[in-house]
Amino acid sequence: MTARISRWPGIELTAADLHEGKVTQTRFHPDAKYAWSAGEAMSRFLEELQNGRLIARTCRKCARVLFPPRMFCEECFRPTDAWTYIRDTGTIETFSISYLDTDARRIPEPILVGVVSLDGASPKMGMMHYFGGMTKDEIRIGMRVKAVWKPKEERRGSVLDILGFRPLGEGES
Amino acid sequence: MTFLDRTTDARRFRHWEGNVEADYIYTSGVAGERFFVALRDEGRILASRCTSCDLSYLPPRMFCEDCFAELTEYLDVPKTGQVAAVTVAYEDRTGAKLSHPQVWGFVVFKGIHGGLLHRLLVPPARARAGLAVRPKLRPREARTGTIADIDGFEPVRF
Repeated sequence: MTARISRWPGIELTAADLHEGKVTQTRFHPDAKYAWSAGEAMSRFLEELQNGRLIARTCRKCARVLFPPRMFCEECFRPTDAWTYIRDTGTIETFSISYLDTDARRIPEPILVGVVSLDGASPKMGMMHYFGGMTKDEIRIGMRVKAVWKPKEERRGSVLDILGFRPLGEGES
Repeated sequence: MTFLDRTTDARRFRHWEGNVEADYIYTSGVAGERFFVALRDEGRILASRCTSCDLSYLPPRMFCEDCFAELTEYLDVPKTGQVAAVTVAYEDRTGAKLSHPQVWGFVVFKGIHGGLLHRLLVPPARARAGLAVRPKLRPREARTGTIADIDGFEPVRF
């Protein structure tokens, strides 16, 4: 309230006044349901995760392999052409050592999260995920990693069907 | 599918369903409060009146639309009103088919600016503009201070 106005015009009502029915009122509960769709490309991507595979879309014109898949190429502004599977190995592009969990609560042992570019997709294309099997002192940009999948029966068609990415072993692919 | 095609049904794909919570409580306001309390407690239909413009408003307004004066005077509308316009509804407000058609009308009162939109308690064949009607109120104990305290308007039999 400003210095010049000591009292606002009108009739003040508290929440209790409303709930006790001190004044006449209209109550309404709109039935506003919605369905939010992942769309054509991301729906296929999520379904393929359940099969333990990563799928991308190719663009003939710019010869890119788009991952996560999309139905149009933002470079060429034309529909993409075909589905293609990529590998579940890749390279750490960037990472964070987080002392906050997904609910922003402080945690003593940090979680490692970041972006991994995947083999088979165009350069720098990949996904954000957790990193495991390494300490905060071992993780570094350029590290080779591989997806750790949940057992098939536990997969739900979610990015969390992958538990995270672990270091790629010597000679492993 | 090209990007020129549009997806009109989200359920065709992997999707998430939800409900928008948008409950509200809408108070009647100063003049509306007078109107609904008089209706509920005394079964009266009140209009507000501007003495300088000689204009009466239904539903009552707090300010005169002509001279912007604050209105504090209220009067009862005449016992009998006239139907100004009618419509027959075959669906409810959600679009579901009604078992019987409902008749709705806009009821005006002589000398009063405005009117009330309400049910007309007549068969569709009798619904017409010009019909003389009067309010049929719900019993006092069933009235809650809403427009539904009036069941509807029924024809006046002469």
